[in-house]
Amino acid sequence: MSYDMIALVMFLGMMGLLLTGQRVFGAIGFVAAMAAFLLWGDGGAELAFSAAMKLMKWYPLMTLPMFIYMGYIMSESRIADDLYEMFHVWMGPVHGGLAIGTIGLMVIISAMNGLSVAGMAIGATIALPELLRRNYDKVMVTGVIQAGSSLGILVPPSVVLVLYGMIARQPVGQLWLAGVFPGLMMAGLFVLYIAVRCRLQPKLGPPLSEAERNIPWSRKFALLRAGILPLLIFFSMTGLFLMGVTSLVESSAVGAATATLAALVKGRLNKQVMEETLRKTLSVTCMFMWIILAALCFGAVFDGLGAVKSIESLFVGRLGLSPWEILIMMQISYIVMGMFLDDTAMLVIVAPLYVPLVGALGFDLIWYGVLYTITCQIAYMTPPFGYNLFLMRAMAPPEISLGDIYRSIIPFVLVMCLGLGITMAFPDLALWLPNWHYGK
Amino acid sequence: MPNWVKSYVRRVERLNWLIGRATIYMIFAMMGVLFYSSVSKTFFVPALWTLEFAQFLMAAYFLLGGAYSIQLNGHVRMDLLYGRWSERTQSKWDVFTSLFLVGYLVLLLYGSLSSTYYALEYGERSYSSWRPYMWPVKVTMTFGIVLMLLQAIAQFFKDLAAARGEPLS
Repeated sequence: MSYDMIALVMFLGMMGLLLTGQRVFGAIGFVAAMAAFLLWGDGGAELAFSAAMKLMKWYPLMTLPMFIYMGYIMSESRIADDLYEMFHVWMGPVHGGLAIGTIGLMVIISAMNGLSVAGMAIGATIALPELLRRNYDKVMVTGVIQAGSSLGILVPPSVVLVLYGMIARQPVGQLWLAGVFPGLMMAGLFVLYIAVRCRLQPKLGPPLSEAERNIPWSRKFALLRAGILPLLIFFSMTGLFLMGVTSLVESSAVGAATATLAALVKGRLNKQVMEETLRKTLSVTCMFMWIILAALCFGAVFDGLGAVKSIESLFVGRLGLSPWEILIMMQISYIVMGMFLDDTAMLVIVAPLYVPLVGALGFDLIWYGVLYTITCQIAYMTPPFGYNLFLMRAMAPPEISLGDIYRSIIPFVLVMCLGLGITMAFPDLALWLPNWHYGK
Repeated sequence: MPNWVKSYVRRVERLNWLIGRATIYMIFAMMGVLFYSSVSKTFFVPALWTLEFAQFLMAAYFLLGGAYSIQLNGHVRMDLLYGRWSERTQSKWDVFTSLFLVGYLVLLLYGSLSSTYYALEYGERSYSSWRPYMWPVKVTMTFGIVLMLLQAIAQFFKDLAAARGEPLS
């Protein structure tokens, strides 16, 4: 059997095993470790554990448990409640204003955390019930929360960009800064979509009632104080990192400590909050780490089979595509694979195959990191497999059905594809800020 | 199910629960080490050992906590088909596919034993200015993988019992 065939069989074997519903890490790990053993015998059998040693040395991944911990501290202790209220009061009077405010809330949470988990949890527990109570359309609201929380991996800090940075060997600082404007643009597009849609179909997002709008200005301004806390957390983490005071991983620990302190000062830190946070942090961290562990082994086998060369000869040689066509093909293949494959595993397995080719074609790898992250965002939301879908299913109130969740993402995925297209067409959108900050 | 199976499952679950409950607090140890690292770097002489020690803690955290995370049902599954099956059908498939999980963990254990053996025999040290011995972390990792394997086997028994319509506990 040729090496290409073996790689293909492995890939299909993994897909098949995933479909049986076994835990993702078990399915990927088994195919990878078994293939290594059959291909290279005794030495290959050690490949599974070599991946663990490699994972240990992927030091920047320590940001992962820190961000997860931080996200749960913020959602469990409900320190974001008054932040929601701020948006509620200020944006409420507009058509679809609460949905627009929720996007604003998500942007701020994204600036405090590098995963979409925190945004999902806060959106589903705080914003969702409030919006439903005020007769917002449930399909739209569900979409708003999923799309909004996916900004968590684009707006700095971002764990996906950390992982990409390790695979593509690019500096995380530049990657994070490159995510700022595309992230804000994406949020802007969401807002635009909501505003236009609610203007055309006012019953999707009615403005607040007269009674609820009647809030004295002093109270309105007092609520703006809620914005201080996120600023503080943002500064303690991303700020100190970009100024070069703390290293990447250190700043995530400082951020986690700051969030804990904030919850303590607000008097929201009790035994139950701590218990939930610690247990869920372990659970989610283990899920990600075991998947990455298994996927690293899979990637190592692919590497041994020379899959990078195969991909290159497929795109450049056999299909004879131009660089831009290849880039577009790659993004489309990511989106399609992202529907069926685990998103983290895809990053670890597929990105190392694509990144060398992207570099060889002369594209900027920082810019590509942003494109990659936007594709990941889409993959997080598209059924049948996506983390945001999982979380939404677990957290949504009973009146929201699976069909509602699936239907809700369609317009937002289209908007995100538009955002992806804009970022592809105008690389400066991503690259201007890092170039300016690092003085290139 | 025979009594020894029930007793095995009960003991393994208890052990992994205890270890998992202790492991959840390791996040504070990581945070503390990194925090100390940033403080010492900013105000005093940077510490040599912090980054590497944090790596060891991280490896221990997810390997020792792995078994508990399985108990918590924290691992995602692809539920395109799985989600539509009845619980009984799910268990039947799990009995079969648990063997793959066990197979992966056995290969992982094989690699870790050989690596740990090497570290012990030659007194392997890390290539860094701190130069710690590698065996303590490797022994810890191997221990975590053993726990995971024990849990996966317990899971297999639980699925088998559920597939036969007499779930344990």
